[in-house]
Amino acid sequence: MDDIVVSLKNITKRFPGIVANDRVNFELRRGEVHTLLGENGAGKSTLMNILDGIYQPDEGEIYINGKLVEIKNPSDAMRLGIGMIHQHFMLVETLTVLENVILGLAEQGLYINKKEISKRIEEVSDRYNLCINPSTKIWQLSVGEQQRVEIIKTLFRGAQILILDEPTAVLTPQEVEVSFEIYKQMIEEGKSIIFISHKLNEVMDISDRITVLRKGKYIGTVDTDKITEKELATMMVGREVLFRLERKPHERKDKVLQVSNLKALDDKGLLALNGLNLEVFSGEIYGLAGVAGNGQKILSEAIAGLRKVIDGKITIAGKDLTNASASEIFAHGVSYIPPDRLKMGLVPNLSSVDNAILRRYYKPPIYNRHLINYSEAERYAKKLIEEYDIMVPREDAPVKLLSGGNMQKLLLAREISEQPKLLIAVHPTRGLDVGATEFVRRELLKQRDNGVAVLLISEDLDEIFMISDRIGVIYEGQILDTFDIKEAKIEKVGLLMAGMKSEREFSEQVCSTV
Amino acid sequence: MISFKGINPLAAYKALLIGAFGSTYTFSETIVAATPLILIATGLVLVFNMKFWNIGAYGQYIMGAIFSSYFALNVSPSVSPWILLPVMCVASIIGGAIWALIPAFMKLVWEVNEVISTLLLNYIALYILKYLMYGPWRNPTSHGFPLSKMFAANAQLPRIWPHTRVHLGIVFAIIIVFLMYFIIKKTRFGYETRVIGENSTAARYAGISIFRNTMLAMAISGGIAGLAGMAQVSGVIHLLQLEINPNYGYTAIIVAWLASLNPIAVLLVSILLGGIEAGGSQIQMMMHVPYGIVGVIESSILFALLGGEIFKTFRVKFRRRG
Repeated sequence: MDDIVVSLKNITKRFPGIVANDRVNFELRRGEVHTLLGENGAGKSTLMNILDGIYQPDEGEIYINGKLVEIKNPSDAMRLGIGMIHQHFMLVETLTVLENVILGLAEQGLYINKKEISKRIEEVSDRYNLCINPSTKIWQLSVGEQQRVEIIKTLFRGAQILILDEPTAVLTPQEVEVSFEIYKQMIEEGKSIIFISHKLNEVMDISDRITVLRKGKYIGTVDTDKITEKELATMMVGREVLFRLERKPHERKDKVLQVSNLKALDDKGLLALNGLNLEVFSGEIYGLAGVAGNGQKILSEAIAGLRKVIDGKITIAGKDLTNASASEIFAHGVSYIPPDRLKMGLVPNLSSVDNAILRRYYKPPIYNRHLINYSEAERYAKKLIEEYDIMVPREDAPVKLLSGGNMQKLLLAREISEQPKLLIAVHPTRGLDVGATEFVRRELLKQRDNGVAVLLISEDLDEIFMISDRIGVIYEGQILDTFDIKEAKIEKVGLLMAGMKSEREFSEQVCSTV
Repeated sequence: MISFKGINPLAAYKALLIGAFGSTYTFSETIVAATPLILIATGLVLVFNMKFWNIGAYGQYIMGAIFSSYFALNVSPSVSPWILLPVMCVASIIGGAIWALIPAFMKLVWEVNEVISTLLLNYIALYILKYLMYGPWRNPTSHGFPLSKMFAANAQLPRIWPHTRVHLGIVFAIIIVFLMYFIIKKTRFGYETRVIGENSTAARYAGISIFRNTMLAMAISGGIAGLAGMAQVSGVIHLLQLEINPNYGYTAIIVAWLASLNPIAVLLVSILLGGIEAGGSQIQMMMHVPYGIVGVIESSILFALLGGEIFKTFRVKFRRRG
C-alpha cells in the first residue's frame, strides 16, 4: 500500500444544475504516469482542481501518502507536494524565466539570491534536458518552452506529484515527443504524473494506467498494455466510435478563393500575415494546419472582412474583395464559423430565434414592411432546430444555456443555410464532445460534396487529416507547403508546423535557446 | 437616518406617501414630476440596452430647455402656438441630440469613455445655462434672480388637467413609451441595437454598423431628454431659470434600471419615483426632514436593486465552516 501516493475516494462535486463528479475514485502509484481520460465535460479538470485545492469536494476523501488530508487551497496542495500545470500558463510574459520562477516560490525572504536560483534552474534544465536559459524573457519562448518553464516552476516548489492538464493540446507532434521524454525522466526520479487528455494515441503512448470518466462518473481503471485504442474509445464515449468518415472522391472545380501576397497586422500591430498565398477550389476541403498564433485567426478575419489588410489581394469567385466590408463579403457568398462561438458567432444572452436570424433579419420574408416579422423568424429558427437536431430548452431561451455542441450546431446550421460558395470554419470542433464533433465533420463533408469550397482551420491534426482534400501548413504568417491528402505525411506536416523543413533541423532547434 | 433627527421614520414615510398620492392635488404633482422622468428614462433604456452608458441626460435636458427657450423668448407673442410649440419641440430635440452626439462621436472615433465625456458635458451645459441666466437672458426686472422673462401664452404647453400643473408633456411621454417599446421589439434598428449591446463583436461579424446605430440611438436618447427639458420649461415653469430640476437626468438613470430597461415598466417606476420627489417636498414642510432625504431614498432603492441582481445571477450558499 505504501507506494500509493494519491487516493481519491468517492469524490462528489456538484455545481448548480450538474454533478461534475459523481462518486469518483482515483489512485496514483509512485512512479507511474496515470492518465485521466474523458470527453469535454466528463469532470477531469474538476477532479484535478479538487486535488489542487481550487475546489472543495462536497463528499469523499482524499488520501496523500496514505494520510487523510483536507486541501483547502493550492498552497495546501503545494505543501503536500502536488503541483498542477494548467492549460493556460500562469507566466508573466515580460519577465525572464528566472523572475517567473522566483515569483512562484513558496517562501521568500527579503533577500533573493538570484545567482543561486539561476544556477539551480540551469541544473534542473540540464537534468531533464529542458533547454531553458534562465535569463530569457518569456515572450521570446515558444509555447512548448513556456510549458517547460511551468514545469520548472512546479519542480522548484518541490512537487512530487505533477498534474498536467492537457499539456499536448498546444504542441506540435515533435514537441509532444520531447515533453514525453521529459516526463519519463521525471518518473525515473520517483515522481508521479497525472496526465489529462482526450487524445487516445498519446494516452496509449505515455501512460501506465488509465482511468476513464464519463459524464462525471467513474467508468473504470485499466492497464494500458491490456487495452486497445478502440476499446478505450468505447469506454470514453459509451458507444462505438467511427475513426474514419466515409468520403466520396473529391471533384475539384472552380477556384473560389484566391489569396495572394497577403499582409496584415494583428491586434498588437505586428505583422501576422507575411505575404501569404492560398487557393481554395469548390468541392474541396482545404485544411490549414498550424500551431496557434501563426496567423490563422488573422487570415480568417481578413477573408471574412473583419480585418483590414495592408497589402495583397483577396479574390472571391473572381471578384476582388480586398478590404471589403463584412456584410459585402457575406453577400458574395462567404459564410464564417469563427474560432470562438461565444465571442463572435453567437450572442449568448439573446434567444435562439434572435441568433438564428443574425444573417437574414434584413431580408424578406423575415424583414417585412420595415419591420422584423418575429413569427416568421420563429418559424425559421424552428426549422433549423428541427433539421439539425439542435437541443434547446425553448426557442426564446438565451443560447448561453445550450451546450457547446448545440451552440456550434446552431451556428453551423445558420451559416450553411445561407448556401455559401466559401465556408471558412475555424476550430469548428474545439471543445465539442465526440458526437457533436462527428456531426460537424460530416456536415463539412456534405458541404464539400455540394460543391462548396471549405477552408478548414484547425489545431487538431487528426481532424485535418481525416476530412481535408489538401493540406497546407501555416507558419509565421506564410504557407510553407501544400500537400495533396494522398501524399501528406503527418510527421512532415508536424515538422513544418514548427517551421522546420527536416528532422535534423528540429533536433538542433530544441536546445537552441541555451 | 431619519430617526437620527428625532423623527419617527414610519411617520415620515407616511407623510411621504400622502405627499405623493394622498389627494388629487398631490397626485397631480406626482404626475408632473413623473413626466420628465418617463421621457428621459425611456430614452436611456434605448442606449443602456446597447451598453452605452449615457449619464449625460442631465446636460441633454438642459440643452433642450435652452434651445426651446430661445424660440419662446424671441418669437413674437402673436405667432400661433400651433407653429411655435412644434418649433420649440424640434429645437429641444436638436439641442439634446447635439449634446448626446458629441460623446457618441468621441467614443466611436477616439474611444473616449462615454461615462466621463457625458458627465463633463453636463457641467458645460450647466455653465452655459448659468451664463445665460446671469447674463444675456436674465429678466431685467427679476431683481438679480437668475430667471428669464415669462414665456408668452403661445409658448406654454397647454395644461390638460384643470387647476393642476399637469401638462401636455405627459401625453408625449406616454406616446413615446409605447413608440420606444415598438422600436426595440419590432424594428430592424431595435434588433441591431440589441445585438450590439449584447455582443459588439458578433455585431461586427454580422456586418451591423456600430457607428450608425450608436449615433442614431444617442441622437434619439438625447433628443428625448431635450424634449423633457422643453416640457419642463414650457409646461411647468413657464420661464427658463437656473433651477429647472436637471437632477431628473440622474433620477431617470435609477428609473431605467428599476424598470430593468423595459419602456413599459418605466411608466410605472417613474410614477413611483415621481411620487417620492413630490412627496419629498411634503415631508420637508410637514416633518422638517430635509429634502435631501429623497436622494437618500432613491439611492437606497438602486443599491437594493443592484444588490438583488447578485442574488439573481449567483446562488449564494450559507453554511457553517467545517
